Amino acid sequence: MKTLTIQVTVNGEAFCKTVGVNMTLLEFLREELHLTGTKLGCNEGECGACTVLVDGKPVNSCLMLAVEADGAEIFTVEGLAKDGTLHPLQEAFIEAGAVQCGFCTPGMLMSAKALLDKYPKPTAQQIRKELEGNICRCTGYDRIVKAIILASEMNKEG
Amino acid sequence: MLPQFELYRPTNLLEACRLKAQGAVVVAGGTDVYVAMHGGKLRPQALVDIKGIADMQEATYDQNSGLTIGALTTHRTIEEWELVKQKYYALFEGCSQVGSVQIRQRGTIGGNICNGAPSADSVGPLLVFGAECLVVGEKGQRKVPLAGFFTGPKKTILADDELLYKILVPPPAPNSASAYIKYTRRRAMDLALLGVSIYLALDKSRIEELRIAFATAAPTPMRAYQTEAKLRGKDYRSISLADIGKMAAAEANPRSSWRASREFRLRLLEQLVQQAFTTALQRAEGGDL
Repeated sequence: MKTLTIQVTVNGEAFCKTVGVNMTLLEFLREELHLTGTKLGCNEGECGACTVLVDGKPVNSCLMLAVEADGAEIFTVEGLAKDGTLHPLQEAFIEAGAVQCGFCTPGMLMSAKALLDKYPKPTAQQIRKELEGNICRCTGYDRIVKAIILASEMNKEG
Repeated sequence: MLPQFELYRPTNLLEACRLKAQGAVVVAGGTDVYVAMHGGKLRPQALVDIKGIADMQEATYDQNSGLTIGALTTHRTIEEWELVKQKYYALFEGCSQVGSVQIRQRGTIGGNICNGAPSADSVGPLLVFGAECLVVGEKGQRKVPLAGFFTGPKKTILADDELLYKILVPPPAPNSASAYIKYTRRRAMDLALLGVSIYLALDKSRIEELRIAFATAAPTPMRAYQTEAKLRGKDYRSISLADIGKMAAAEANPRSSWRASREFRLRLLEQLVQQAFTTALQRAEGGDL
């Protein structure tokens, strides 16, 4: 087979599309659905800028075929804010100054989302380990770690 | 965009073997295959995605036979498996240091083995636990010790029609412990510049069993059989750590690459063997892990 029709749910919305088998999930999100929040960085699984959640788990969307997402629930950075209200992680990234050029931020946020689902009260060490696949060339990571701790504290209050 | 290819997604093992025999490139997690395809190093006419083969996903433990790990089991599954942490700590250490969370979520233990890289993080720990490979082809199945699986860099004993089906890992002795030390230039997303795995079973201070394996110290993952044989049965207090390091490093045959020179790797190996041995010893004497 060279093309396939797939059904995927992206940020809660169902899509049915026919795609080439050689299209990556990243290309599907950006070019078919025009969800350009997810970034193309290295295209080889090193940088994490293309991280999305597939059935709740973080994966590099550049190393997965779109057809492999058939039947899956995909969650991208566009799904974080609800009705114009930012997600606590997004608020915390702003509050802590965890964004500089911003290119890694969508991937960081998705890995951070998966991290908080796994460890609602993470230690700095857990954050650094779980975010090892997301490279940031600007911040030095310190403020990203602080932002995630901040978001985890917001979780408790909210 | 990846180059064009024909995609097959069999749910039947023998169908997958047949497609492989016809020249289709096998893909599981895709964390090596798609990287090579993006980089232009691999341009397959056809891919056979084996993730639909259900029983290759299963991983179980039995106290008599040990672990039976379906080749499609992900590193993340192994990493998060409490039993592996309790009984096969070096395997936890290996699998939890592959790539990143994202890579471990997709990458499989079978893929790590079949890719045949001398640096594979899961292989050294599996070698010291005495793992065997269950290989299936069109004509039947065979069992091969993992130590005999590799024939060269990126080369394995798999015939054209054969797939690695399951990995069998015997249960460790109750008086044993293990350790995997991975040496890298940065803490994540790096290949092992060197890796040392040790399995050690103690009867008080006597070394009842010792197995040592190296990553990136030869063209294939390897065991240090001579050192193991010399030390088996000895009282560990009667041997100097430095000697163990020297003896084991003498069995290695690392190459010089842009990551490090052969000379550096040999010196480093002496140190890492000591570190891994001490770690395993402390764990064995501590009675846990």
